[in-house]
Amino acid sequence: MVRNSEIVTISRAGVLRGMTRLLPICLFVVPFGIAFGIAATEGGIGPIQATAMSAFVFTATAQFAALDFLQEPVAFFSLGLVALALSGRHLIMGAALAQWINRLPAGKRFVVLMFLSDANFADTQMLLQRGETDLGPLLGGGLMLWITWVGSTAAGAFGGNLLGNTEALGFGVVMLCFFAATAFGMVRSTPSLLLPVIVAVVTSAITLPYLPNGWNIILAALLGGGVAALRHAE
Amino acid sequence: MLSDWSYILAVALLGLVALGTRLSGAVLMAWVTPTPRVEKFLQGMSVSVIAALVASSLVAADLKTIVATGSAIVVAAGSRSVIWAMVAGIIVAAAYPQFI
Repeated sequence: MVRNSEIVTISRAGVLRGMTRLLPICLFVVPFGIAFGIAATEGGIGPIQATAMSAFVFTATAQFAALDFLQEPVAFFSLGLVALALSGRHLIMGAALAQWINRLPAGKRFVVLMFLSDANFADTQMLLQRGETDLGPLLGGGLMLWITWVGSTAAGAFGGNLLGNTEALGFGVVMLCFFAATAFGMVRSTPSLLLPVIVAVVTSAITLPYLPNGWNIILAALLGGGVAALRHAE
Repeated sequence: MLSDWSYILAVALLGLVALGTRLSGAVLMAWVTPTPRVEKFLQGMSVSVIAALVASSLVAADLKTIVATGSAIVVAAGSRSVIWAMVAGIIVAAAYPQFI
């Protein structure tokens, strides 16, 4: 909890500190970025376009999910809803940091939130709990993640064909493994999420033949969220 | 084939949604007090959408993809690492044709 008398700042030293703190994590972002660049170009998207998407969207899960929608005619409404569901966690993280972020001038608030992501959120949350009042590490960590994400997407999109037949390497499977392992990790750290996950898995699988592109996932996400909220009430 | 305009619109939509969710948490908190139940709903929704994507893809997937994804989950359980899970999935998918 931040005290009323304390001033929240963004220091240059804090930005640099955030960048160095997240450097090791960024090494592990590289394979994701390369995989996204390859998956996007395999899906018929140009390398410049794929890199631009990483620069503007900066949300790995939403970008991977979007690849399924990028064919004519684009189901924009479903795409928007899936993206909303996949980046909805940013809303939670922004809310959690609000008591610090809302003490900054509006312009700085905007810049810091633009680079909000899972890893710099987790890192900064730890620093703020210790009583620090510098949001520099949040911005610096976010910048480092953004540079890595955009750079590694470009490497995969422009250099992917140097790796030969990537389909034979199983890169197309990477996305599914990433999602499966991420969901598994989330349930392990919060076991009460197991029931929502089961409900979502069953719902999406059963309704797949009956609902248009993406809607089975939206329905499954809403039901999963509803189950999580109901369980909390018990 | 996807037209340039469709692609630009899709990226603009994704970018706006991503930016909107990044900004709105702090903005909303200036106005409302979120209940624990709302947080639980959002948390449940974020894991459910990921699980639903996996399930939905696996229903239509070939056996190689299912076996590779299953291996990734097993490795994620053993190693607690998403990266090792992905590596395992890639290796299994690459090695799979040798066994059939």
